[in-house]
Amino acid sequence: MADYHQMWIDLGMDVDKHEALCEVLPEAFGGVYLSQENRPQGMDFYDFVVSEIHGVRPSELIKHQETGGKVFGTFCVYVPDEVVFAAGAIATGLCGGSQFWVPGGEKVLPANTCPLIKASVGARLDKTCPFFMIADMFVGETTCDGKKKAWEILAQDVPVHVIDIPQMKREKDIAAYQQEIMDFIKVVEDFTGNKVTPEALAESIKLINNKRKTLQRIYNARKASPVPISGKDALLVTQIAFYDDPTRCAEMGNKLADELEERIARQEGVFPADAPRILITGTPMAIPNWKLHHIIETAGAAVVVEELCTGTRYFENLVDESATTIEGQVRALAERYMKTNCACFTPNPGRIEDVVRLAKEYNVDGIIDTNLQFCNLYSTESYLVKQKLDELGIPVLHIETDYSENDFEQLRTRVEAFLEILRK
Amino acid sequence: MGTTSDYDWYILFPNHHEGLRLNSELKQRGIKNTIAPTPRAASKSCGISLIVLEQDLPVINQLIEEQRINIEKIVQLPAIKNWKFRGC
Repeated sequence: MADYHQMWIDLGMDVDKHEALCEVLPEAFGGVYLSQENRPQGMDFYDFVVSEIHGVRPSELIKHQETGGKVFGTFCVYVPDEVVFAAGAIATGLCGGSQFWVPGGEKVLPANTCPLIKASVGARLDKTCPFFMIADMFVGETTCDGKKKAWEILAQDVPVHVIDIPQMKREKDIAAYQQEIMDFIKVVEDFTGNKVTPEALAESIKLINNKRKTLQRIYNARKASPVPISGKDALLVTQIAFYDDPTRCAEMGNKLADELEERIARQEGVFPADAPRILITGTPMAIPNWKLHHIIETAGAAVVVEELCTGTRYFENLVDESATTIEGQVRALAERYMKTNCACFTPNPGRIEDVVRLAKEYNVDGIIDTNLQFCNLYSTESYLVKQKLDELGIPVLHIETDYSENDFEQLRTRVEAFLEILRK
Repeated sequence: MGTTSDYDWYILFPNHHEGLRLNSELKQRGIKNTIAPTPRAASKSCGISLIVLEQDLPVINQLIEEQRINIEKIVQLPAIKNWKFRGC
Protein backbone atom coordinates (compact mmCIF):
# COMPACT_ATOMS: atom_id res chain seq x y z
CA MET A 1 0.00 0.00 0.00
CA ALA A 2 1.06 3.56 -0.58
CA ASP A 3 2.85 4.74 2.51
CA TYR A 4 2.66 8.46 3.04
CA HIS A 5 3.92 8.40 6.61
CA GLN A 6 7.30 9.82 5.76
CA MET A 7 5.71 12.66 3.81
CA TRP A 8 3.44 13.45 6.75
CA ILE A 9 6.40 13.36 9.16
CA ASP A 10 8.37 15.65 6.87
CA LEU A 11 5.44 18.05 6.88
CA GLY A 12 5.60 18.19 10.66
CA MET A 13 2.25 16.48 11.09
CA ASP A 14 1.10 14.77 14.26
CA VAL A 15 0.94 11.35 12.60
CA ASP A 16 -0.37 9.54 15.65
CA LYS A 17 -3.34 11.85 15.96
CA HIS A 18 -3.84 11.83 12.19
CA GLU A 19 -4.05 8.04 12.36
CA ALA A 20 -7.44 8.34 14.07
CA LEU A 21 -8.78 10.21 11.04
CA CYS A 22 -7.35 7.63 8.64
CA GLU A 23 -9.14 4.96 10.59
CA VAL A 24 -12.64 6.38 10.32
CA LEU A 25 -12.56 7.60 6.71
CA PRO A 26 -12.89 4.20 4.97
CA GLU A 27 -15.92 3.22 7.02
CA ALA A 28 -17.63 6.60 6.70
CA PHE A 29 -17.01 6.81 2.97
CA GLY A 30 -18.14 3.23 2.49
CA GLY A 31 -21.30 3.81 4.49
CA VAL A 32 -22.23 7.10 2.86
CA TYR A 33 -20.97 6.67 -0.70
CA LEU A 34 -20.17 3.11 -1.67
CA SER A 35 -23.49 1.87 -0.34
CA GLN A 36 -25.28 3.74 -3.15
CA GLU A 37 -26.63 1.79 -6.11
CA ASN A 38 -26.06 2.45 -9.80
CA ARG A 39 -23.53 5.25 -9.40
CA PRO A 40 -22.09 6.72 -12.59
CA GLN A 41 -18.81 5.05 -13.56
CA GLY A 42 -17.25 8.50 -13.71
CA MET A 43 -17.44 8.63 -9.92
CA ASP A 44 -14.48 6.22 -9.89
CA PHE A 45 -12.17 9.19 -10.16
CA TYR A 46 -13.72 10.92 -7.16
CA ASP A 47 -13.66 7.70 -5.13
CA PHE A 48 -9.98 7.50 -6.00
CA VAL A 49 -9.36 11.08 -4.84
CA VAL A 50 -11.05 10.40 -1.50
CA SER A 51 -9.19 7.12 -1.09
CA GLU A 52 -5.89 8.94 -1.53
CA ILE A 53 -7.06 12.24 -0.09
CA HIS A 54 -4.05 12.93 2.13
CA GLY A 55 -1.61 11.33 -0.28
CA VAL A 56 -1.78 11.96 -4.02
CA ARG A 57 -2.75 15.65 -4.19
CA PRO A 58 -0.48 16.66 -1.28
CA SER A 59 2.37 14.85 -3.09
CA GLU A 60 1.65 16.91 -6.20
CA LEU A 61 1.66 20.14 -4.21
CA ILE A 62 4.96 19.22 -2.56
CA LYS A 63 6.46 18.45 -5.97
CA HIS A 64 5.37 21.90 -7.12
CA GLN A 65 7.08 23.43 -4.08
CA GLU A 66 10.25 21.45 -4.75
CA THR A 67 10.54 23.21 -8.09
CA GLY A 68 10.18 26.61 -6.40
CA GLY A 69 6.41 26.94 -6.70
CA LYS A 70 4.17 28.30 -3.96
CA VAL A 71 0.86 26.98 -2.64
CA PHE A 72 -1.89 29.28 -1.38
CA GLY A 73 -4.59 27.91 0.88
CA THR A 74 -8.03 29.50 0.58
CA PHE A 75 -11.27 29.30 2.52
CA CYS A 76 -13.88 31.10 0.49
CA VAL A 77 -15.45 31.42 -2.96
CA TYR A 78 -14.66 35.15 -2.98
CA VAL A 79 -10.91 34.53 -3.24
CA PRO A 80 -9.92 34.88 -6.93
CA ASP A 81 -7.91 31.74 -7.66
CA GLU A 82 -7.15 33.23 -11.08
CA VAL A 83 -4.57 35.56 -9.53
CA VAL A 84 -2.75 32.71 -7.80
CA PHE A 85 -2.51 30.54 -10.92
CA ALA A 86 -1.46 33.54 -13.03
CA ALA A 87 1.64 33.83 -10.84
CA GLY A 88 2.54 30.19 -11.43
CA ALA A 89 1.34 29.20 -7.97
CA ILE A 90 -1.40 26.76 -6.94
CA ALA A 91 -4.52 27.57 -4.94
CA THR A 92 -6.08 24.85 -2.84
CA GLY A 93 -9.19 24.87 -0.70
CA LEU A 94 -8.61 24.50 3.02
CA CYS A 95 -12.05 24.55 4.63
CA GLY A 96 -12.44 21.95 7.32
CA GLY A 97 -15.54 19.78 7.18
CA SER A 98 -14.64 17.18 9.77
CA GLN A 99 -15.70 16.91 13.40
CA PHE A 100 -12.29 15.36 13.96
CA TRP A 101 -10.66 18.81 13.76
CA VAL A 102 -13.21 20.68 15.89
CA PRO A 103 -11.70 20.02 19.35
CA GLY A 104 -8.36 21.38 18.09
CA GLY A 105 -10.08 24.61 17.12
CA GLU A 106 -11.92 24.78 20.43
CA LYS A 107 -8.60 24.99 22.23
CA VAL A 108 -8.23 28.57 21.03
CA LEU A 109 -11.70 29.63 19.83
CA PRO A 110 -14.90 30.33 21.76
CA ALA A 111 -17.26 27.36 21.92
CA ASN A 112 -19.91 29.38 20.08
CA THR A 113 -17.85 29.54 16.88
CA CYS A 114 -19.11 27.72 13.80
CA PRO A 115 -17.70 24.22 13.22
CA LEU A 116 -16.20 25.18 9.87
CA ILE A 117 -13.94 27.76 11.51
CA LYS A 118 -13.16 25.51 14.46
CA ALA A 119 -12.26 22.63 12.15
CA SER A 120 -10.13 24.83 9.90
CA VAL A 121 -8.15 26.25 12.82
CA GLY A 122 -7.94 22.84 14.49
CA ALA A 123 -6.61 21.15 11.36
CA ARG A 124 -3.69 23.56 11.29
CA LEU A 125 -2.92 23.87 14.99
CA ASP A 126 -3.26 20.14 15.65
CA LYS A 127 -1.16 19.43 12.54
CA THR A 128 -3.49 16.72 11.30
CA CYS A 129 -4.11 17.73 7.69
CA PRO A 130 -1.35 17.79 5.05
CA PHE A 131 -3.03 20.54 3.02
CA PHE A 132 -2.93 22.88 6.02
CA MET A 133 0.74 22.06 6.52
CA ILE A 134 1.71 22.43 2.87
CA ALA A 135 0.15 25.81 2.10
CA ASP A 136 2.85 28.48 2.15
CA MET A 137 0.32 31.24 2.68
CA PHE A 138 -3.29 31.24 3.83
CA VAL A 139 -5.66 33.66 2.11
CA GLY A 140 -8.44 34.72 4.42
CA GLU A 141 -11.34 37.07 3.88
CA THR A 142 -13.83 39.09 5.87
CA THR A 143 -17.02 37.14 5.24
CA CYS A 144 -17.81 36.72 8.94
CA ASP A 145 -16.61 37.89 12.33
CA GLY A 146 -15.47 34.46 13.42
CA LYS A 147 -13.17 34.11 10.42
CA LYS A 148 -11.77 37.62 10.86
CA LYS A 149 -10.53 36.76 14.33
CA ALA A 150 -9.45 33.26 13.34
CA TRP A 151 -7.03 34.73 10.78
CA GLU A 152 -5.28 36.61 13.57
CA ILE A 153 -4.74 33.38 15.47
CA LEU A 154 -3.60 31.47 12.38
CA ALA A 155 -1.27 34.33 11.43
CA GLN A 156 0.80 33.48 14.51
CA ASP A 157 1.57 30.16 12.85
CA VAL A 158 1.57 30.74 9.08
CA PRO A 159 1.68 33.76 6.72
CA VAL A 160 -1.87 35.02 6.18
CA HIS A 161 -3.19 37.59 3.75
CA VAL A 162 -6.74 38.82 4.31
CA ILE A 163 -8.87 40.09 1.44
CA ASP A 164 -11.39 42.68 2.61
CA ILE A 165 -14.72 41.59 1.10
CA PRO A 166 -17.22 44.46 0.89
CA GLN A 167 -20.43 44.01 2.88
CA MET A 168 -22.66 45.83 0.38
CA LYS A 169 -22.93 45.76 -3.41
CA ARG A 170 -22.94 49.40 -4.43
CA GLU A 171 -20.69 50.51 -7.28
CA LYS A 172 -18.18 51.86 -4.78
CA ASP A 173 -18.09 48.44 -3.12
CA ILE A 174 -17.31 46.72 -6.41
CA ALA A 175 -14.57 49.31 -6.97
CA ALA A 176 -13.23 48.61 -3.48
CA TYR A 177 -13.12 44.86 -4.18
CA GLN A 178 -11.37 45.61 -7.47
CA GLN A 179 -8.69 47.43 -5.47
CA GLU A 180 -8.47 44.45 -3.09
CA ILE A 181 -7.73 42.21 -6.07
CA MET A 182 -5.03 44.62 -7.24
CA ASP A 183 -3.51 44.48 -3.74
CA PHE A 184 -3.76 40.70 -3.78
CA ILE A 185 -1.88 40.58 -7.07
CA LYS A 186 0.96 42.54 -5.46
CA VAL A 187 1.00 40.19 -2.45
CA VAL A 188 1.07 37.12 -4.70
CA GLU A 189 3.78 38.62 -6.93
CA ASP A 190 5.98 39.48 -3.95
CA PHE A 191 5.48 36.07 -2.34
CA THR A 192 6.12 34.04 -5.49
CA GLY A 193 8.62 36.32 -7.18
CA ASN A 194 6.57 35.99 -10.36
CA LYS A 195 4.89 38.80 -12.26
CA VAL A 196 1.18 38.52 -13.02
CA THR A 197 1.08 39.49 -16.68
CA PRO A 198 -2.09 40.16 -18.69
CA GLU A 199 -1.29 37.07 -20.78
CA ALA A 200 -0.94 34.84 -17.72
CA LEU A 201 -4.07 36.26 -16.12
CA ALA A 202 -6.01 35.74 -19.35
CA GLU A 203 -4.89 32.09 -19.32
CA SER A 204 -5.87 31.54 -15.72
CA ILE A 205 -9.24 33.24 -16.21
CA LYS A 206 -9.91 30.70 -18.97
CA LEU A 207 -8.61 27.88 -16.78
CA ILE A 208 -10.97 28.65 -13.91
CA ASN A 209 -13.87 29.44 -16.25
CA ASN A 210 -13.42 26.00 -17.79
CA LYS A 211 -13.70 24.44 -14.38
CA ARG A 212 -16.87 26.44 -13.75
CA LYS A 213 -18.35 25.41 -17.11
CA THR A 214 -17.73 21.76 -16.26
CA LEU A 215 -19.50 22.04 -12.93
CA GLN A 216 -22.34 23.88 -14.67
CA ARG A 217 -22.69 20.95 -17.08
CA ILE A 218 -22.86 18.45 -14.23
CA TYR A 219 -25.42 20.54 -12.40
CA ASN A 220 -27.48 21.01 -15.55
CA ALA A 221 -27.74 17.25 -15.82
CA ARG A 222 -29.34 17.23 -12.38
CA LYS A 223 -32.32 19.12 -13.79
CA ALA A 224 -33.43 15.89 -15.48
CA SER A 225 -36.03 13.55 -14.10
CA PRO A 226 -35.14 10.91 -13.10
CA VAL A 227 -31.98 12.54 -11.83
CA PRO A 228 -28.88 10.76 -13.23
CA ILE A 229 -26.59 11.36 -10.24
CA SER A 230 -27.21 11.49 -6.52
CA GLY A 231 -26.86 14.70 -4.57
CA LYS A 232 -24.18 13.03 -2.49
CA ASP A 233 -22.08 12.32 -5.56
CA ALA A 234 -22.59 15.80 -7.00
CA LEU A 235 -21.60 17.32 -3.67
CA LEU A 236 -18.43 15.24 -3.65
CA VAL A 237 -17.54 16.46 -7.14
CA THR A 238 -17.89 20.07 -6.01
CA GLN A 239 -15.99 19.51 -2.78
CA ILE A 240 -13.08 17.97 -4.67
CA ALA A 241 -13.10 20.80 -7.21
CA PHE A 242 -11.74 23.06 -4.46
CA TYR A 243 -8.62 20.91 -4.10
CA ASP A 244 -7.92 19.36 -7.42
CA ASP A 245 -5.80 20.60 -10.29
CA PRO A 246 -8.23 22.79 -12.31
CA THR A 247 -7.33 21.23 -15.66
CA ARG A 248 -7.85 17.69 -14.38
CA CYS A 249 -11.00 18.81 -12.59
CA ALA A 250 -12.47 20.01 -15.88
CA GLU A 251 -11.32 16.92 -17.76
CA MET A 252 -12.74 14.42 -15.29
CA GLY A 253 -15.86 16.50 -14.72
CA ASN A 254 -16.58 16.63 -18.44
CA LYS A 255 -16.21 12.84 -18.70
CA LEU A 256 -18.73 12.52 -15.88
CA ALA A 257 -21.04 15.04 -17.55
CA ASP A 258 -20.87 13.05 -20.81
CA GLU A 259 -21.99 9.97 -18.92
CA LEU A 260 -24.78 11.85 -17.16
CA GLU A 261 -26.06 13.18 -20.48
CA GLU A 262 -26.06 9.64 -21.88
CA ARG A 263 -28.02 8.52 -18.84
CA ILE A 264 -30.55 11.29 -19.40
CA ALA A 265 -30.98 10.18 -23.03
CA ARG A 266 -31.71 6.67 -21.74
CA GLN A 267 -33.93 8.08 -18.96
CA GLU A 268 -31.73 6.32 -16.45
CA GLY A 269 -31.73 7.69 -12.93
CA VAL A 270 -30.51 6.93 -9.44
CA PHE A 271 -33.87 7.67 -7.83
CA PRO A 272 -37.39 6.91 -9.06
CA ALA A 273 -38.84 9.76 -11.13
CA ASP A 274 -41.39 10.44 -8.42
CA ALA A 275 -38.86 10.81 -5.60
CA PRO A 276 -39.13 14.22 -3.92
CA ARG A 277 -36.60 16.68 -5.38
CA ILE A 278 -34.82 18.80 -2.81
CA LEU A 279 -32.85 22.03 -3.05
CA ILE A 280 -30.42 22.69 -0.21
CA THR A 281 -29.49 26.27 0.58
CA GLY A 282 -27.35 27.73 3.32
CA THR A 283 -23.83 27.39 4.65
CA PRO A 284 -21.02 25.51 2.90
CA MET A 285 -20.45 21.77 3.28
CA ALA A 286 -16.70 21.32 3.25
CA ILE A 287 -15.35 17.82 2.70
CA PRO A 288 -16.08 15.40 4.44
CA ASN A 289 -19.36 16.90 5.62
CA TRP A 290 -21.93 14.63 3.95
CA LYS A 291 -24.37 14.35 6.86
CA LEU A 292 -27.43 16.17 5.58
CA HIS A 293 -27.25 14.72 2.07
CA HIS A 294 -27.01 11.25 3.58
CA ILE A 295 -30.07 11.83 5.75
CA ILE A 296 -32.15 13.17 2.87
CA GLU A 297 -31.15 10.58 0.30
CA THR A 298 -31.43 7.57 2.56
CA ALA A 299 -34.95 8.79 3.30
CA GLY A 300 -35.77 8.37 -0.39
CA ALA A 301 -35.53 11.95 -1.66
CA ALA A 302 -33.02 13.28 -4.18
CA VAL A 303 -30.94 16.37 -3.55
CA VAL A 304 -30.92 17.93 -7.03
CA VAL A 305 -29.17 21.25 -6.40
CA GLU A 306 -27.20 23.06 -3.70
CA GLU A 307 -27.38 26.83 -3.41
CA LEU A 308 -24.23 26.75 -1.32
CA CYS A 309 -20.60 27.84 -1.56
CA THR A 310 -20.03 24.13 -2.20
CA GLY A 311 -22.65 24.36 -4.92
CA THR A 312 -23.91 26.93 -7.38
CA ARG A 313 -22.20 29.88 -5.70
CA TYR A 314 -18.86 28.32 -6.61
CA PHE A 315 -19.37 28.16 -10.36
CA GLU A 316 -22.32 30.28 -11.49
CA ASN A 317 -21.28 33.32 -13.54
CA LEU A 318 -18.15 33.32 -15.65
CA VAL A 319 -15.43 35.96 -15.76
CA ASP A 320 -15.56 38.01 -18.96
CA GLU A 321 -12.53 36.84 -20.98
CA SER A 322 -12.34 39.78 -23.38
CA ALA A 323 -10.19 42.20 -21.35
CA THR A 324 -6.52 42.44 -22.33
CA THR A 325 -5.11 44.68 -19.62
CA ILE A 326 -4.62 43.89 -15.95
CA GLU A 327 -7.00 46.72 -15.02
CA GLY A 328 -9.69 45.40 -17.36
CA GLN A 329 -9.21 41.82 -16.21
CA VAL A 330 -9.36 42.80 -12.56
CA ARG A 331 -12.56 44.74 -13.22
CA ALA A 332 -14.01 41.63 -14.88
CA LEU A 333 -12.96 39.51 -11.90
CA ALA A 334 -14.50 41.98 -9.45
CA GLU A 335 -17.77 42.06 -11.38
CA ARG A 336 -17.97 38.26 -11.51
CA TYR A 337 -17.13 37.61 -7.87
CA MET A 338 -19.46 40.33 -6.63
CA LYS A 339 -22.36 38.57 -8.37
CA THR A 340 -22.03 35.78 -5.80
CA ASN A 341 -24.66 36.14 -3.11
CA CYS A 342 -23.47 35.39 0.41
CA ALA A 343 -25.33 36.25 3.59
CA CYS A 344 -22.40 38.47 4.60
CA PHE A 345 -23.89 41.17 2.33
CA THR A 346 -26.63 43.55 3.33
CA PRO A 347 -29.13 43.64 1.85
CA ASN A 348 -28.83 40.30 0.10
CA PRO A 349 -31.96 39.86 -2.03
CA GLY A 350 -29.88 38.18 -4.76
CA ARG A 351 -29.54 34.99 -2.72
CA ILE A 352 -33.28 34.63 -2.27
CA GLU A 353 -33.78 35.34 -5.96
CA ASP A 354 -31.21 32.62 -6.71
CA VAL A 355 -33.03 30.14 -4.48
CA VAL A 356 -36.36 30.84 -6.16
CA ARG A 357 -34.85 30.69 -9.65
CA LEU A 358 -33.02 27.42 -8.92
CA ALA A 359 -36.17 25.92 -7.38
CA LYS A 360 -37.91 26.49 -10.71
CA GLU A 361 -34.99 25.44 -12.92
CA TYR A 362 -34.50 22.19 -11.04
CA ASN A 363 -38.23 21.62 -10.53
CA VAL A 364 -37.83 21.05 -6.79
CA ASP A 365 -40.57 19.90 -4.45
CA GLY A 366 -39.10 21.39 -1.31
CA ILE A 367 -36.20 23.36 0.09
CA ILE A 368 -34.03 22.66 3.09
CA ASP A 369 -32.38 25.80 4.40
CA THR A 370 -29.49 24.70 6.57
CA ASN A 371 -26.91 26.57 8.50
CA LEU A 372 -23.98 25.53 10.58
CA GLN A 373 -24.40 26.12 14.26
CA PHE A 374 -23.48 29.66 15.35
CA CYS A 375 -23.52 31.04 11.81
CA ASN A 376 -25.42 34.16 12.73
CA LEU A 377 -25.55 35.49 9.16
CA TYR A 378 -27.25 32.52 7.52
CA SER A 379 -29.35 31.79 10.57
CA THR A 380 -30.75 35.31 10.58
CA GLU A 381 -31.25 35.37 6.82
CA SER A 382 -33.32 32.19 7.09
CA TYR A 383 -36.21 34.40 8.28
CA LEU A 384 -36.23 36.23 4.95
CA VAL A 385 -35.72 33.01 2.97
CA LYS A 386 -38.73 31.42 4.64
CA GLN A 387 -40.84 34.55 4.26
CA LYS A 388 -40.32 34.57 0.49
CA LEU A 389 -40.79 30.82 0.06
CA ASP A 390 -43.98 30.88 2.14
CA GLU A 391 -45.25 33.67 -0.08
CA LEU A 392 -44.59 31.52 -3.14
CA GLY A 393 -45.99 28.37 -1.57
CA ILE A 394 -42.68 26.49 -1.75
CA PRO A 395 -42.27 24.13 1.25
CA VAL A 396 -39.19 24.90 3.33
CA LEU A 397 -37.53 23.36 6.35
CA HIS A 398 -34.91 25.29 8.29
CA ILE A 399 -32.34 23.36 10.24
CA GLU A 400 -29.24 24.23 12.20
CA THR A 401 -26.61 21.58 12.68
CA ASP A 402 -22.92 20.88 13.10
CA TYR A 403 -20.47 18.15 12.11
CA SER A 404 -21.19 15.81 15.01
CA GLU A 405 -23.42 12.75 15.01
CA ASN A 406 -25.31 13.95 18.09
CA ASP A 407 -28.32 15.32 16.25
CA PHE A 408 -28.36 12.73 13.46
CA GLU A 409 -31.52 10.89 14.53
CA GLN A 410 -33.31 14.11 15.45
CA LEU A 411 -32.52 15.56 12.03
CA ARG A 412 -33.60 12.38 10.32
CA THR A 413 -36.96 12.54 12.06
CA ARG A 414 -37.44 16.16 10.99
CA VAL A 415 -36.38 15.49 7.40
CA GLU A 416 -38.62 12.42 7.14
CA ALA A 417 -41.58 14.41 8.44
CA PHE A 418 -40.83 17.14 5.89
CA LEU A 419 -40.64 14.58 3.09
CA GLU A 420 -43.96 13.12 4.19
CA ILE A 421 -45.54 16.53 3.70
CA LEU A 422 -44.01 16.78 0.23
CA ARG A 423 -45.29 13.36 -0.75
CA LYS A 424 -48.91 14.24 0.14
CA MET B 1 -21.03 -2.30 -3.47
CA GLY B 2 -24.55 -2.86 -2.34
CA THR B 3 -24.20 -6.65 -2.34
CA THR B 4 -26.03 -8.90 0.04
CA SER B 5 -22.97 -11.08 0.61
CA ASP B 6 -21.70 -11.60 4.14
CA TYR B 7 -18.19 -10.66 3.04
CA ASP B 8 -16.52 -7.99 0.95
CA TRP B 9 -13.36 -8.73 -0.98
CA TYR B 10 -10.70 -6.04 -1.15
CA ILE B 11 -7.68 -6.06 -3.45
CA LEU B 12 -4.78 -4.05 -2.04
CA PHE B 13 -1.90 -2.58 -4.04
CA PRO B 14 1.65 -1.37 -3.43
CA ASN B 15 0.71 1.98 -5.01
CA HIS B 16 -2.29 3.67 -6.57
CA HIS B 17 -0.97 3.30 -10.14
CA GLU B 18 -1.36 -0.47 -9.94
CA GLY B 19 -4.83 -0.09 -8.45
CA LEU B 20 -5.93 2.19 -11.24
CA ARG B 21 -4.47 -0.18 -13.82
CA LEU B 22 -6.55 -3.07 -12.53
CA ASN B 23 -9.61 -0.83 -12.22
CA SER B 24 -9.22 0.11 -15.88
CA GLU B 25 -8.72 -3.50 -17.02
CA LEU B 26 -11.76 -4.66 -15.07
CA LYS B 27 -13.91 -1.84 -16.39
CA GLN B 28 -12.94 -2.67 -19.98
CA ARG B 29 -14.14 -6.21 -19.39
CA GLY B 30 -17.32 -5.17 -17.59
CA ILE B 31 -16.23 -6.77 -14.32
CA LYS B 32 -17.77 -5.00 -11.38
CA ASN B 33 -15.31 -3.28 -9.05
CA THR B 34 -15.35 -0.24 -6.80
CA ILE B 35 -12.48 2.00 -5.80
CA ALA B 36 -12.49 2.37 -2.03
CA PRO B 37 -10.28 3.70 0.74
CA THR B 38 -8.47 0.72 2.26
CA PRO B 39 -10.13 -0.28 5.52
CA ARG B 40 -7.85 -0.25 8.53
CA ALA B 41 -8.81 -3.85 9.22
CA ALA B 42 -7.12 -4.77 5.93
CA SER B 43 -3.97 -2.68 6.20
CA LYS B 44 -2.32 -0.02 8.34
CA SER B 45 -1.43 1.91 5.21
CA CYS B 46 -3.75 4.29 3.40
CA GLY B 47 -4.72 4.48 -0.20
CA ILE B 48 -6.95 2.82 -2.70
CA SER B 49 -8.18 -0.70 -2.78
CA LEU B 50 -10.69 -2.33 -5.10
CA ILE B 51 -13.81 -4.03 -3.81
CA VAL B 52 -14.73 -6.94 -6.07
CA LEU B 53 -17.29 -9.72 -6.08
CA GLU B 54 -16.28 -13.13 -4.82
CA GLN B 55 -17.53 -14.91 -7.93
CA ASP B 56 -15.26 -12.76 -10.12
CA LEU B 57 -12.09 -13.60 -8.17
CA PRO B 58 -10.88 -16.45 -10.45
CA VAL B 59 -11.05 -14.30 -13.57
CA ILE B 60 -9.58 -11.31 -11.72
CA ASN B 61 -6.66 -13.39 -10.48
CA GLN B 62 -6.05 -14.58 -14.01
CA LEU B 63 -6.13 -11.02 -15.29
CA ILE B 64 -3.70 -9.87 -12.61
CA GLU B 65 -1.30 -12.55 -13.75
CA GLU B 66 -1.73 -11.92 -17.47
CA GLN B 67 -1.37 -8.15 -17.20
CA ARG B 68 1.39 -8.41 -14.59
CA ILE B 69 -0.37 -6.09 -12.20
CA ASN B 70 1.31 -5.84 -8.84
CA ILE B 71 -1.03 -6.38 -5.99
CA GLU B 72 -0.24 -6.55 -2.32
CA LYS B 73 -2.91 -8.97 -1.24
CA ILE B 74 -6.58 -9.88 -1.43
CA VAL B 75 -8.45 -9.51 1.83
CA GLN B 76 -11.83 -10.83 2.85
CA LEU B 77 -13.64 -8.71 5.43
CA PRO B 78 -17.09 -9.09 6.99
CA ALA B 79 -19.55 -6.87 5.11
CA ILE B 80 -20.90 -4.03 7.21
CA LYS B 81 -24.63 -4.56 7.60
CA ASN B 82 -27.08 -1.93 8.82
CA TRP B 83 -24.36 0.67 8.96
CA LYS B 84 -25.07 3.44 11.42
CA PHE B 85 -23.99 6.89 10.31
CA ARG B 86 -20.60 7.91 11.49
CA GLY B 87 -18.98 11.09 10.35
CA CYS B 88 -15.25 11.52 9.87
